[in-house]
Amino acid sequence: MSANENKKLMESIFARVAAGDRTAYVDCLADDVTMRVTGQYSWSRTFKGKAALVRELYGYLHTLLADGRRTIPLRFIADDDHVVVEARGNMETKAGVRYDNEYCLIYRLKDGKIVEIREYCDSALTEAVLGKFPEPAKAEN
Amino acid sequence: MSSAENKKLMQEIFAGLANRNGTLLIECMSEDFRWINIGTNKWSGTFDGKEAVLRDLLAPLRGKLIERSRTVAHRFIAEDDYVVVEARGDNVTKAGRQYNNEYCFVFRLSDGKIRQVKEYSDTALIDTVLGDPKEMPAAG
Repeated sequence: MSANENKKLMESIFARVAAGDRTAYVDCLADDVTMRVTGQYSWSRTFKGKAALVRELYGYLHTLLADGRRTIPLRFIADDDHVVVEARGNMETKAGVRYDNEYCLIYRLKDGKIVEIREYCDSALTEAVLGKFPEPAKAEN
Repeated sequence: MSSAENKKLMQEIFAGLANRNGTLLIECMSEDFRWINIGTNKWSGTFDGKEAVLRDLLAPLRGKLIERSRTVAHRFIAEDDYVVVEARGDNVTKAGRQYNNEYCFVFRLSDGKIRQVKEYSDTALIDTVLGDPKEMPAAG
């Protein structure tokens, strides 16, 4: 697909998710998608595969955030097989604390599927509001 | 300029930055150049005008590091007036700490000049390693 088609696909995904249809996004993830949360903070890691990404990252976020969380796209920049989306979160934790992070999301697409994601955001805010990402069975730092 | 020309210019600028040379970057900033850092730490916010960017952002950063900063780009994504650059820093602070942030820079250009950049990076790392821009490490 062309850069323009990839951009249109990402625009339509963000529009459908904003309208409450999260499956539009999940359906477009390739089975072997990888998502890297960039940086060196507790959430920084690579989620490998759609099942792991949905369960370990989105599943965990679902336990923290109130229903109806939104990511509002501000700009789409497409070049070849990459689409960059600058976005603003519009979320609240279940405890009622605002969580409006700033994101730069970089998607690599192939044949109409998202195969790679890299996320840049305000990591200090993530840890301040959502806490550290849980490390299973880890006794000490 | 076309997106291909904008991308080529940013590639030349980052070839310099990989060798601790920011001359072309500074040369290509428009007078009304604006630098926006995401987040709410002491480096966050909008620096308006080339002079303010150099004085209030880049000079304090230089003051934190043992030598000129090195930033190595690994991807360029360009469309119209925008060039997105993913990069990694390779720096050591005067306090002896590694400062290797990961950056996503969203540049807006026109007529061969950079008008704006929005920097996305690991703000928690900035807090931990760089601290306060106004606090200068002791000489020596």
